[in-house]
This record gives sequence, structure tokens and C-alpha cells, in this order.
Amino acid sequence: MSALRRHRRLTAIWASEPGWKGWFSTVNHTDVGRMFLATSFFFFLVGGILAMLIRAQLATPHSAFAGPEVYNQLFTMHGTIMMFLFAIPTFEGLAIYLLPKMLGTRDLAYPRLTAYGYWCYFFGGGMLLFSLLAGIAPDGGWFMYPPLTGPIYSPGINTDFWLIGITFVEISAICAAVEFCVSILRYRAPGMSLDKMPIFAWYALVTSLMILTGFPPLILGSVLLEVERAFGLPFFQAELGGDSLLWQHLFWLFGHPEVYIIFLPAAGVISTVIPVMCRTTLLGYGWVVAAAVALAFLSFGLWVHHMFTTGIPHMGLAFFSAASTLVAVPTGVQVFAWIGTMWKGRPELHLPMLHILGFFVTFVMGGLTGVMVAIVPFDWQAHDTAFVTAHLHYVLFGGFVFPILAAIYYWLPLFTGRTRFFKLGELAFGLIFVGFHGTFLAMHWVGLLGQRRRIETYDAEAGWTTINLVSSVSSFVLAIGLAMVLLDVLLHFVVAVRGRRNPWHAGSLEWAMPAPPPAYNFASLPVVETRDPVSSDPHLAVRLARGEGWLADPALDRRETLTVEPSSGTPEYMVIYPGNTRLPIVFAAITGLFFLSLLIKVYWLTPIALAGIATVGWRWVWSLAQPVDLGPQEAGRGERLPVSGETDRAPGWWGSAFLLAADATFFGSLLFGYAFLWTVAPGWPPPELLEPSLLELGVGLAGALVASIGMRIAIRGNRSRGTGVAGLAVALTGTAAAALAVASLMIRVPAPAGHAYDATLFVLGGYALFHAALAGLMQTFLIVRVRRGFTSPARRAEFPIVCLWADYLALVTILVLVVAHLPGWLA
Amino acid sequence: MTDVLRILVAPLVWLAAFSGVYGLHGVGCAFGWADVELLSISLFRVALLAAWGAAVLLQLSLIPTLGSNRFGSAAPFVRRTSVALAWVGLVATLWTLLPVAVMSACD
Repeated sequence: MSALRRHRRLTAIWASEPGWKGWFSTVNHTDVGRMFLATSFFFFLVGGILAMLIRAQLATPHSAFAGPEVYNQLFTMHGTIMMFLFAIPTFEGLAIYLLPKMLGTRDLAYPRLTAYGYWCYFFGGGMLLFSLLAGIAPDGGWFMYPPLTGPIYSPGINTDFWLIGITFVEISAICAAVEFCVSILRYRAPGMSLDKMPIFAWYALVTSLMILTGFPPLILGSVLLEVERAFGLPFFQAELGGDSLLWQHLFWLFGHPEVYIIFLPAAGVISTVIPVMCRTTLLGYGWVVAAAVALAFLSFGLWVHHMFTTGIPHMGLAFFSAASTLVAVPTGVQVFAWIGTMWKGRPELHLPMLHILGFFVTFVMGGLTGVMVAIVPFDWQAHDTAFVTAHLHYVLFGGFVFPILAAIYYWLPLFTGRTRFFKLGELAFGLIFVGFHGTFLAMHWVGLLGQRRRIETYDAEAGWTTINLVSSVSSFVLAIGLAMVLLDVLLHFVVAVRGRRNPWHAGSLEWAMPAPPPAYNFASLPVVETRDPVSSDPHLAVRLARGEGWLADPALDRRETLTVEPSSGTPEYMVIYPGNTRLPIVFAAITGLFFLSLLIKVYWLTPIALAGIATVGWRWVWSLAQPVDLGPQEAGRGERLPVSGETDRAPGWWGSAFLLAADATFFGSLLFGYAFLWTVAPGWPPPELLEPSLLELGVGLAGALVASIGMRIAIRGNRSRGTGVAGLAVALTGTAAAALAVASLMIRVPAPAGHAYDATLFVLGGYALFHAALAGLMQTFLIVRVRRGFTSPARRAEFPIVCLWADYLALVTILVLVVAHLPGWLA
Repeated sequence: MTDVLRILVAPLVWLAAFSGVYGLHGVGCAFGWADVELLSISLFRVALLAAWGAAVLLQLSLIPTLGSNRFGSAAPFVRRTSVALAWVGLVATLWTLLPVAVMSACD
């Protein structure tokens, strides 16, 4: 088959629907990545306009520009949009677009999930945008501290928009994180062992693991605060056994890692771009990987440094102060590795490199002020002043926006296949750099003079007027610079001339394809032998187009790729993807209906939406059915590989394992909250403990074990006889017993709205009940699958997946029942 | 996947130890353990120091373990990275939990 015929055949197989209809049914990572990036930069624009309004207000004392109610919404939405609707989705979009190309594969692990995540982001972001336009936007600051945001002090719908909208958007981040973990570890080109992975993939892997463990505490906090606001369960009300500090712990358990979740992908961009711009390779690849991993872990030991003024004992403060200073070390290792890379190479000052230099200056300054506020006595002085606002902007703008601008200009030739024509970008960089430092250097100064953050006005006598005016004027210079970048990129898309492939002479695989990339990425999958395969083999792109790699024969008209063993990169099995579908947008819309019913408090709609979610979820998985055994398939280069449905560890198993890691973090955070309230909150021990019940405990524990054992019987039954219904029936019975026990616990809790103890037990029971329902649904699904003949001793992949969820249910049920009954027994 | 776990294990042990000691500190202060003394030494302080010591020993043991032929990775890159991170875990444990030896417990 000629290269042109192969291209046409693969395009027909992989392409999205033509025209605007394709936006709604595409599951292709290139399309969805572009949609993510376009949407996230739209939100960057909105967040930037809000920043201009804030600076307009603060430019002069006693400004009449905006009243306090509007101003509160402005700064809350500015922070919320920039953090949740710009920074994280930009990482998601960039990684969705780039990762399969860099890893030498054709798509991410779960293309439909990619699209579902995008639509959740789109609808959730739309919800927040609507609140802004309607004047009912969240107004409690981007970290939403109760009691200010509780039902007493914020009775309107504003706070609910934040709690529900952000939780909706976070589904997108969790989906992307699961997808990236599985894709990076399993969906790589043959031969790409861990030490040959592109450095950006390492950073994306570390960031994704952080999202899976960092976001669940915030989701939990949002759920608890919304439940308190809607139903009166008092998790954060001190007079009823709650504690507002619990919110701060849950929020910052997410919030501090969030800073690194934003920075690390940008560091991945820097580690990718600097060696190319300096005509060399990254200095200390292994050290950079180790530093990224160390940074990720240390970032989870810093959260209390946002709470230094809350009265925590000195020893507790010292733990977190020490960890906060230590985190500078792995950051420094990376910065020195980048400087060393520039030193050993021959730097060329192209536009991406200008933004990298902007990053160095800005981020290092932000890092140094970070070490200042990590020291407790200094933090006590600077806390809640504009100094902290300036510090965080140095870290986030320096550590994210400059690298992302570098990324835009670096990968623009790949996105468009064109070469830059107008040179607006260089002037824009100058304006951005000068404008940024003018804005935020001044803000450090005014903060040290005592200006608190989030004030809507100040007296002329305070002596802050000139500094604020300088800051505001500079911010408009910054805005003009960013607007010029937007204009430059738009002009590039419209009028720039065709460019040549790989204009930077980079070595990574995304440059071994035509630009703009075809829907299938690679006509045949490369065999990777070095870290820079394109540099090692300049003719690689041509050879892949000729079909000299894996999976070169599109004869069966299927969307195919292959997976590898994570460590060595040895091919393991083939994956056949589903095609274009509108299921993701429908699924996201129904998920949105669920959140909307909670937001507008139309609770009769909630169970209908849940039933809709279950129905679409069922359809989603059902469509993956494989009616007959396929056996090993031709994979090219004379090799045959099994298909994923005929293995024990299919992609669904890996995805479930990573999703359960996030789920377990959510559960762990709930248990932490229970322990925290018990030890720290006023009003504990509670006036009345749950009466222990041997029957409830016995039924629950037995049910949990039977559910888990039943799944193992089912796996064995399917392996030996091609069925497994008996084992599944046993497992379903066990699941029902576990559900009964936790439902009984929820009913017996005296008064969930009366004390935080009862409220916590009620939520613990609800969590276990939800998982019982989920496991029951999966087991029922599998029974139907078996009876319809969609399983066999070969087609066995779904059994271990359901077993994993049943095991998790068993663990959760046992822990919930034990922690609920233990205080009663001990008393 | 074992190689990925080898890379992650030492920082995970640090995170568990750090959270565990912080939790122990919170529980001890909440229940007044700092006031229980034996031979003029606070038993709470002894418990915190013991927890720190155990965490340091565990981190120390990971360094030769991850570098050994039996438990270490066969891939040189993974072996080097996991041993480097074991050193990071040790230093982090020593530095971030040092306050148990030098700070007042519950003031």
C-alpha cells in the first residue's frame, strides 16, 4: 500500500464528522485538545477582563467604579476562573493534544472520556459564567471560607454556584488525570521504556497523580459545605460540633498541591523547549525526573502554611514551615538543570526562548518571596496583605503563563503547519514583561505598607495612592501585551504562510508527522530506541508514512493502537477504539442536569438525572461489547497480539485502579475530617453516641466479604466454563447485604442536622451506600453480559474490573461500620 | 508497574510518616498527653521522638533495599532514580520532623 493510499484510508477511519456537527461527536484527541485550549483561553480573557476591573477600582482611593457587592464578585470570579477554568484546563488541553503524539501512539486511552471531560468543563464553566453575567456570582473569595460562606452569612445562591459549578468542572480534571496516567504508562510506542519517555510525559504523569490525590479533598469539602447549606448538616458550625477550620484543612489539602499542579506541566514545557532552543539535550534528565517527583510529594506537606495565623500549636507550624523551605530544593534542582542545559548548549533567542527567560526572572523572584512567607514570623506580618497576592502572581504568572506562552509559540507550527509572518509576538513579550513587573512589584510594596488583600477601597491618607496607580497602569500595559499575543496567534492562523515540518529541529515524536497533524497521528507506530527518536533518525517520519512501523495495515477499518508493558515498553496487547459518538455530550448534559437540580433545589429532578446517568453509563459500556473471540491479531512487523478484551488487565481495569485511588483519597479525607472534628472541634464527644448493633455490623461485614469472594468465584467460573453467573449472584447478594447494613446505619443516626457527629456518620453511610449501588449495577450488568453471550474464557476482561470495585466496596463497608460502631462499643 | 512503585515508595513513606506524626501531635495535644510525665520527661515527647526515629530508620532501610539486586530495579535509570528519591525521603524525614525534638509541644 502506498503512503498516500494509507493516509486516505486512515483518515477515513479516524476523522471526525465534517463541519460543525463534528464538534459534538468528535472523540479525537487532537480535536478535543484544540477545543479545550480554545475554551480555556476564552476563560483567560474573561478572567483578565475581571482583573482589569479590579485594578480600575483600586487605581484611586474611594473609587466609585464598583460597589463592595460587585467588587466581591469580581475578585472571587477572577481567582476562580484563573485557577479552575484557565490554568488546569490549559494543562489538560495541551496534554490531550500533545501526549499521544509525543508518546508515539494514535490516541489517549479513553477517547470518549476525553470528550466527556471537555463537555463537563464546558457546561460547568458555562454555569459559572452565567452567574457572573446575571450578577449572582460567588462572592466569598476563591477559597470560600466558612462561616462567611455558610448558610447564615451567605444565604443567596452565589456560593452554591461555586460549590456545585466547581465540583462539576473538577469531574473534567479527574477524567483527564485518569486518562493521562493510563495513557502515559501503557499507551506508548514500542520500545519506549521509562527512561526514554519524553520529559513532558513525566511531568504530566506526576501532575496527573497529584490531581487524583489533590482534588478529592476539595470535592469533599464542597460536598460537605453544600450539604450544610442545603440540608443543615453542621460540618462547619462550631455551636453544633462543626469547625470552620475543617474547611481550611480540606481546601488547602487541595489548594497547595494545586500550585504545583499548575507549575509542573509548565516545568515540563520548559524542560522540553530549552534543550531545543539551545541545540542540545536536557542536562540531568534523571535528576529532573526525581526532582519533579520529590516536588510533587513535598507539596502535599505544605498545606498548613496557609493557616499559620489560625492558632495552631508552634510544633505544628514548625512541621509545615520546615517542609515549605525544603520544597525550594527540588525546585532549585530543576532551575539549575535548565541553566546547565543552556550553559552546555548554544541558546538561540527565538520567541519561545524570550518567554522562558521571562519565566526565569519572574518565577525565581516568586520562589524567593515564597521562602519568605514560609517563615512563620514573617507570614504573621504579611498574611492577608497585598504582598501575598503579589507573591502568588509571581509564582503563577511566572511559573505558568510565561511557559504557556512559550509553549504556544513553540508548538504553533505543529498546530497550524504555518510559519510566523508578523512579528507582533516580540513586542507583545516586552509589554507583558514590563507590565507584569510594574503591576506586581508595586503590589509587594503596598502590601508591606499594610494594604490588605480584597479591600475595595482605601483612604488617600494611607499613602498607597501612587503605588496603586502605578500598579493599575502597568496592569493595562500587561493586558495590551496579552491582547497582542491573541492577535498574533489569530493572524498566524489566518494569513501566515505554509511552513516546513519540524522547524525547530526538535527530537521528540510529535514532529515525526505532517503539520497540522492528521487525525490518526502516525500512519504506522514508531519503534523507539533513544530519547530523541527524530534526532536519531531524521527519516523517521517518511519511514512511518511508508508503513515501516507497527499497525501499518488499516485493512480491517478499525481504530487500532497498542499498549506496552509500563517499564520496558514491550508491546502487550491491541486496543480497538470506539468511533465518533454523541454519547459524551449527552452524558455530560445529564450530569449537568444532576448538578443543576441541586443548584436550583429542584430535588425531584435529582433521581431522574441519576437514573439518566446510570442509563447512559450502561449504554456507554455496553457499546464496547465484543460478540466473538478474536484471538491474537496481526500487529505488524510479523507480530501477533491479543486484543484488550481478551486480557486480565484491560484499559478499564487500569482506569478503575487510578479512579479508585482518587476515590480512596476522598474517603480518607472524610475519615480525616471525622478524626479532626473528634479531636479539635468544640462540642465533642457528642451528646449521644450511635447505639452499637451486632446484627448491622455482622450483616455488613459478611456482605462485604461475600461480595468480594463472589467475584472471585465468578472469575474462576468464567475461566473454566465460560460463565460465572453463580459467582455473580453470590456477589450481588453480598453487595445487597452490605447496602442494607449501611442504609440501616444511616436510618439509625439520631439527627444528622443536630450535631456534626451524626452528620458525619450519615455522610459516611451515604458514601458506602453509593458504592454498594455502583457495585450492584456493575454486577447486574455483567450478569446480563454473560447471559447474552458477550463473555467467554477468552473475553474475560470485565470480570477483574468489577472485582476491583467489589473489593473496594468491601473495604469501605468494613471501615465505615467499624468507625461508626467503635465509639459506642468503647463507651 | 513495579518500577513506578519503586520510584514512588520513598516519598510515599515520607508522606505517611509526616502525616502520621502530625496526626499524633494533634491527638496528643487534644487529649492532654503532654501533661503525662515519667521521670520528669513528657511521655508525649518520647512518643513523638520514637515515631520520628522509626520513620528515619524506615527511610534509611529503603536506601540499600532499592539499590539491592534483590529488590531494586533491573533498569539502571529506575534504580538510580529510586535510590535518589530514597535519599530525598531520608533528608525530608530528618528535616521536616526535626521540630519534635526542639519545639514546645502544644503551646
